[in-house]
Amino acid sequence: MKLIVRLILLAGLLALGVWAWGFFFPTPQKIIEKRLVKLARLASFSSKDGNIKRLADTERISLLLARNIQVVVDLPGGRETMFDNREELLQALLAARPVVKDLVVQFTDIGVVVNQDRQNATALLTVKAKIGVEPDWVVEELRFTFKNTNDDWLITRLETVKPLR
Amino acid sequence: MAIGRRPKRTLVRLAVLIVASIVIFKFVLLPIRVTGISMEPTFHDGAVNFINRLAYVRGQPLRGDVVGIRFSPDANGAFHFLLLKRVVGLPGETISFVGGHVCVNGTPQEEPYLKLPSYWNVPEKTLGPEDYYFVGDNRTMPPNLHEHGIASRSQIVGRVLLKGKE
Repeated sequence: MKLIVRLILLAGLLALGVWAWGFFFPTPQKIIEKRLVKLARLASFSSKDGNIKRLADTERISLLLARNIQVVVDLPGGRETMFDNREELLQALLAARPVVKDLVVQFTDIGVVVNQDRQNATALLTVKAKIGVEPDWVVEELRFTFKNTNDDWLITRLETVKPLR
Repeated sequence: MAIGRRPKRTLVRLAVLIVASIVIFKFVLLPIRVTGISMEPTFHDGAVNFINRLAYVRGQPLRGDVVGIRFSPDANGAFHFLLLKRVVGLPGETISFVGGHVCVNGTPQEEPYLKLPSYWNVPEKTLGPEDYYFVGDNRTMPPNLHEHGIASRSQIVGRVLLKGKE
């Protein structure tokens, strides 16, 4: 019995060690996944949010984006929207909030591939969004391109991926 | 408490049932809930169905099959969402829409499942050796507002199990 207890404790310690290693020394994939989850949370907003929260969230979003980010996305209704830099995108986000009122954004099925040079990465994910009072969720596939700039993974490109071409 | 005269046997049966359910509903029959109107009236918004992941283990998708298609072109990635569409074009064919009906290599096809009016005119697309053409049964909206087009064989997850109102 003592041996079993010791083995269980050892297994527990090993598991804790693996978890701690992953926590203090995350892989680039994990870092990028966390950033994407954070982006989805910051992109979501409610009509109950105050102006200060909206501005603060927009500022936090800007820290995840490269200055020359390129965005090519399909919005609901079949409209393609493009932005050439971070400021343009952030202005559009601020302008959209009073119009849309409520937005819930969730990223699922996140798949991250880091290049061998560990300087560039691509993430494919499915975005699920509920806009305003619409009952249905909008579902799209998105591709994010990341660049490692001074140990900071910034988004340099965002585009919609059409499942059917 | 009614656990039976042989509780060990009951527990073993319960364990086998749980494992079998997990295996079947994770690897064989994928439960789905239909969202949206693109497959009306064959499949209604909110309807429950299953995707048979073993449907094409030995064969290939046929024209008219209703299948689940991954959103991501990455065939190995996890997924929570699928497109539910009908196969109308097979590898190597040229697909177009004239007056709402699909044309294969220029020849209009009989589509008994097409119950709602459609007036689509979509130019020809030629399919590669691994490509299929997919479209929904509800073509009442303009083609640019309906998700339809080409995907490769590797994006097909399986065939829908319960046939709708065809």
